[in-house]
Amino acid sequence: MTKSAVLEVERAFESEALPNPYVVTAVNLGKIYRRGVEEIHALQDISVTFQQGQFYCVLGPSGAGKTTLLNLLGGMDVPTSGTLAIAGRTVMEEGWVRLSEGARDRLRRENIGFIFTEFFLMPTLTAMENVQMPLLWSGKEDRKYAVELLERVGLGHRLTHRPAELSGGEMQRVAIARALINRPKLLLADEPTGNVDTKTRDSIFELFRELNGEGLAIVLATHDRELAGHIDHVIHLHEGCIVEG
Amino acid sequence: MEYIRLAMKNLLRRKVRTILSLLGIGVAIAVLYSLLEFQKGYEKGLQGQLDQLGAHIMVVPKGCPYEAATIVLHGGKWPRYMEESYFDQIKGVSGVSQAAPILMDAIIDPATKDSKIFLGITDEYGRLRLKWKMDGPGFSNEKAREVILGTSIATKLGLKTGDTFHLRQDASGRAGGKDDADLKVVGVLDRTGTQDDGFIFMPLHTLQQVFKLPGKIVVVLVRAKKIDGASLDKTMQNLRALGGNMNVFPLSELLNNASQLMQVTKVFVLAIVLVAIAIGAVGVLNTILMTVFERTKEIGMMKAIGASPKDIFTLIWTETVLLCTVGGLLGIGIAIVSSRGIEWFFRKALASQFSALPDTTLIGISPGIVLLCVVLSVGLGVLAGFYPAWRASAVKPIEAIRGAN
Repeated sequence: MTKSAVLEVERAFESEALPNPYVVTAVNLGKIYRRGVEEIHALQDISVTFQQGQFYCVLGPSGAGKTTLLNLLGGMDVPTSGTLAIAGRTVMEEGWVRLSEGARDRLRRENIGFIFTEFFLMPTLTAMENVQMPLLWSGKEDRKYAVELLERVGLGHRLTHRPAELSGGEMQRVAIARALINRPKLLLADEPTGNVDTKTRDSIFELFRELNGEGLAIVLATHDRELAGHIDHVIHLHEGCIVEG
Repeated sequence: MEYIRLAMKNLLRRKVRTILSLLGIGVAIAVLYSLLEFQKGYEKGLQGQLDQLGAHIMVVPKGCPYEAATIVLHGGKWPRYMEESYFDQIKGVSGVSQAAPILMDAIIDPATKDSKIFLGITDEYGRLRLKWKMDGPGFSNEKAREVILGTSIATKLGLKTGDTFHLRQDASGRAGGKDDADLKVVGVLDRTGTQDDGFIFMPLHTLQQVFKLPGKIVVVLVRAKKIDGASLDKTMQNLRALGGNMNVFPLSELLNNASQLMQVTKVFVLAIVLVAIAIGAVGVLNTILMTVFERTKEIGMMKAIGASPKDIFTLIWTETVLLCTVGGLLGIGIAIVSSRGIEWFFRKALASQFSALPDTTLIGISPGIVLLCVVLSVGLGVLAGFYPAWRASAVKPIEAIRGAN
């Protein structure tokens, strides 16, 4: 996608005159990490779009740049070069940061749900409280929706259980419910099945399918080719570059 | 879910560490609270005693006025005397409303070190003590072989009105023979809440005879007609003009002197307490900072799911303020619960500097001091929490999460 296409997408978001199919657009994204004098090119010339209601897979071996890409797409990190727009807001334009950290936090909170390999649940909070935690940051309270989400991920009977009392699969389901509590447009999942067994992996993937079927855009990063085989759009990543599958 | 609940749950994760930090702050605040209460209770007790005296000016033989005043307030033996005739001159001084001569002495049991304090008084003393009530007729005349007992000493000796008080049983060797030593109890005072409760009162001339101090008195208490600053000064000038080897000073000065003495002690102890509080605050800072380092991944996750640096700052700050506030409340609770023990310790520790402390409760519960300690605890949390909160808010989610992976 060209830069003019990106700007067109932004204009569509801003005018609200047209339904915009894009959740994230990236043009020539690059990310360089510096360690002393050494430069590590984690991502190079990544141009990609993610549309609402679609299911994407970022497939690649360890070190290919999957996590880096997801972090950029989620506004957790800023690219070193290129142009990036998330939910109609330009985060980066030709290597210049256009959104402050606070604005990126807000953008992420309102539009993006994150799921990690490690579940990162708060050990002292119940499943219910873990799911509600993002609401704390947005100053809202929606207990009913949190219960609804936990029931949706099959944990309606585990509301008051703490992480230590849940299995790995159940913990990841709580993490998924937590990622959905702010009604995001896009769900970014970084190796979400990396810490669970095959059976649990399949059930979690099935849940993703259902959520996607309800209109949620999902980008799932994995090195699991078998899993990727079940996803409609696969982006192959190798040494920081998009390659043909 | 609110910040405060989340903060509380975070603190409860490391119970032992949290409890130790609470204790650090708690003990420091407990000492501070006790010290401030003690100071306040001391001044209040002293003021109460002065009010009970019913006098405004004290005339004593030359010597340390503070020592003299302490003797007057708390009783005891002070081997400096003036002639009783001097009292007659004082009565006639302009500005004097009433005056009461007092002779004081004490008998100490060499075996038990228990002392009995005797006050030789006249009718004038009773008139100064407006709130005196007693069970019994009181002295029949100025030379009667009679005593009036304070309620505490009466209970201690097991005596009531109509009984005989045997002075010779005290075995001091100073109290004359059998005839001198037996006195009739003609009254027991109702509880006054002052040192009067522990005194044995005799007519002035009887005490002079019993202790072989004819014509001697130790102090004259003076009630002035007017007590505004200028009038009181004028009355004192008139008293000083009488000459003689006497000290004339207002009792309010006694309160100031005692307060100044206490102030010096307080400043010294306060400095130590503040150092203890500072150490407690550094302990809290260290505890919270450690938890921030341990929870870097978790903080990164919070940011990833939408927490702003301000949100993280608020959370960590809330944890610190909560810890210090609870520690402060715990300290106030400790101080109140163990106030009797702390008071006993203070009394013991300060005995060398303050020959007699008021008998009233010195460590009580004052809303002002409770509030001050709570505010100080919260302030401590605000200060101690600032750096850890800032460090936590500066955590980069990407780096925290990458560290985890």
